[in-house]
Amino acid sequence: MAKATNKPVITPEQIRDAYIDYVLTNNEPPKSVYDFAKKLGITEADFYNYFASFIAIEKSVWAILTIEAVEKIKEQEIWAQYSSREKILSFFYSYIELLKTKRSFIIYTWKKHEKRLSAPVILSDAKPIFENFAEDVIQDGLDSGELAQRKFFTKRYKDGLWMQFLFIINFWAEDDSNDFEKTDEAIEKGINVAFDLFQRSPIDNLFEYGKFLARNGKLKEKMGI
Amino acid sequence: MKIQESMPATKVERSAKFVKTGFQIGGNYIKHYSKKLFNPDLSRDELNEDNASDIYNSLSELKGSALKIAQMLSMDRNMLPKAYVNKFSQSQYNAPPLSGPLITRTFIKSFGKPPGKIFDSFNPVSTNAASIGQVHQATLKGKKLAVKVQYPGVASSISSDLKMVKPFAFRLLGVSEKELNVYIKEVEERLLEETDYKLEVRRSIEFSKACSVLKNTVFPTYYPKLSSEKIITMDWMEGLHLKEFLQTNPSQQLRNKIGQALWDFYNFQQHELKAVHADPHPGNFLITPDEKLAIIDFGCIKVIPKDFYDPFFDLVWNGLMNDKKAAIDAFRKLELIQPNDTAQQIEFYYKSYKEMISLFALPYASKTFDFSKPKFFEDLYAWSDKITKMAEFKQPRGVKHFIYINRTNFGLYMILNDLKATVNTQTYKPLSFNGEILKQEKKRVAKNHGV
Repeated sequence: MAKATNKPVITPEQIRDAYIDYVLTNNEPPKSVYDFAKKLGITEADFYNYFASFIAIEKSVWAILTIEAVEKIKEQEIWAQYSSREKILSFFYSYIELLKTKRSFIIYTWKKHEKRLSAPVILSDAKPIFENFAEDVIQDGLDSGELAQRKFFTKRYKDGLWMQFLFIINFWAEDDSNDFEKTDEAIEKGINVAFDLFQRSPIDNLFEYGKFLARNGKLKEKMGI
Repeated sequence: MKIQESMPATKVERSAKFVKTGFQIGGNYIKHYSKKLFNPDLSRDELNEDNASDIYNSLSELKGSALKIAQMLSMDRNMLPKAYVNKFSQSQYNAPPLSGPLITRTFIKSFGKPPGKIFDSFNPVSTNAASIGQVHQATLKGKKLAVKVQYPGVASSISSDLKMVKPFAFRLLGVSEKELNVYIKEVEERLLEETDYKLEVRRSIEFSKACSVLKNTVFPTYYPKLSSEKIITMDWMEGLHLKEFLQTNPSQQLRNKIGQALWDFYNFQQHELKAVHADPHPGNFLITPDEKLAIIDFGCIKVIPKDFYDPFFDLVWNGLMNDKKAAIDAFRKLELIQPNDTAQQIEFYYKSYKEMISLFALPYASKTFDFSKPKFFEDLYAWSDKITKMAEFKQPRGVKHFIYINRTNFGLYMILNDLKATVNTQTYKPLSFNGEILKQEKKRVAKNHGV
């Protein structure tokens, strides 16, 4: 379309959309980058300018949606008033809503790279984005006293949220309820459990009681009883 | 009989245990256990209470219904520990409050906008729990509004909850699944209707319009455009709940006025509309500062079919009861007497149900009725205690419509008792009172029996 310049203009978005379209139409990735580039009317080099492989495109779709969700929720007027718990809840509701817009493709990539428990390859770009976001939110929660500061464990909070992330996506992928209502429930209940655990709980009291007993037990020994 | 005596407790224990291990995986329960771990002094009562809460948090859709099935179908209410009964009769879902983000999400799903963009103000903290949702205060153009938001997944959980609770309920009540199924189905239908907020708005508007002829009864305005499957917006009603109202020590005159409004509200519906607000839970009413009764929830409506209304209210209203043949014929229609009953059984059930329905109809029998008198209620309880001990009433009898009609009327009686009100019971009489149906019925029966 552009005048006969040597470089055909193509954006990464166009490549991405074309790829999504191809995959959803054929239910499999193109045979080769060469073949795909040819169909698009671009050179292989044009493709590699933006993406190292087809998988890279798939990863970028997840990453972009994750960034979008984070940006979108932060625009809400009420954002500043939200507790950490609510911020994470808000993220998941928005995220699921965004994923819905590309559900077929998302599910295709999710199922293709199914790897339980550990992070699927497909999420390797989205994961650091989510973790950065989660760390910020957790830090806010620790600062405000909403979450309990615990040696060793505090650093694991974000891992807990990442497990929830995987669980929720997995749940959503299988959800056949109206408007994914059950996923809403899964988010509400799962995140609440996670944050209940991050807060001060009987475990902390037990731990402190144990410490107290240990200390005072020794005292007894020293006194020779 | 001895075995019978000890059965219920173990049954409940067993069922409770079954519930414990089977149903609850939620954090709530884990919490309870950790609490218990650190505080072994948690009393048995508290445990029961907690069990009851746990069961009925998720299953409280069965709330009044299972209890009412038990009561109305003459099964022993003493079988259930008190904590269970309290939970049962509590007509609240008692779910944890929805998070702010989920409320926002529900609004976006319904209207494409967050609540802050729809209302001038919206309080994200709910003021109270409705039966299957929670209520928020909002304002729009200077008007104070009540916005009811439904918990997600309630509708889909009802059917599965009922399925889950069924074996439990059957064991608890000691009857077989087959016997109770028809009643459970009736309950399920009503409960599912309750989750349809669009239907509720439509009915609320219809009913408040139809009931606008009633004195001393007020209804909020509903806003269909601000309502959806999951959200209902209506006027915020100022007023006191029954309990709070009673604490203000209202005069007898005021009690009577509110009691009369309640009586008229229910009997107008039963006898004029032939469809009735079937959830006479105190939480569904408010007493406004200008001494009127405000009705704030139309979630549960029971339509009374003619083939139930006619035989039942003919019986309730004087006359037919003493005509044994006509009464038995009506009992047959209501399935209180069943086709394969022996002559002896017919005699027995005729007597028993005559006694019960006469008792039920007592308020109608005089011009005014004083609901503060304990005698009437003692008789009711005594009767229900008596029949629970009878093997003949082990199996439920009667058409399914009894569940909600009994629940409605006994519920009404109970509230009037709490109010200690004396009401004029003749304001809305059963339509058969003019004797038309009665006469026809007598003629027909006479013909059938060749009299």
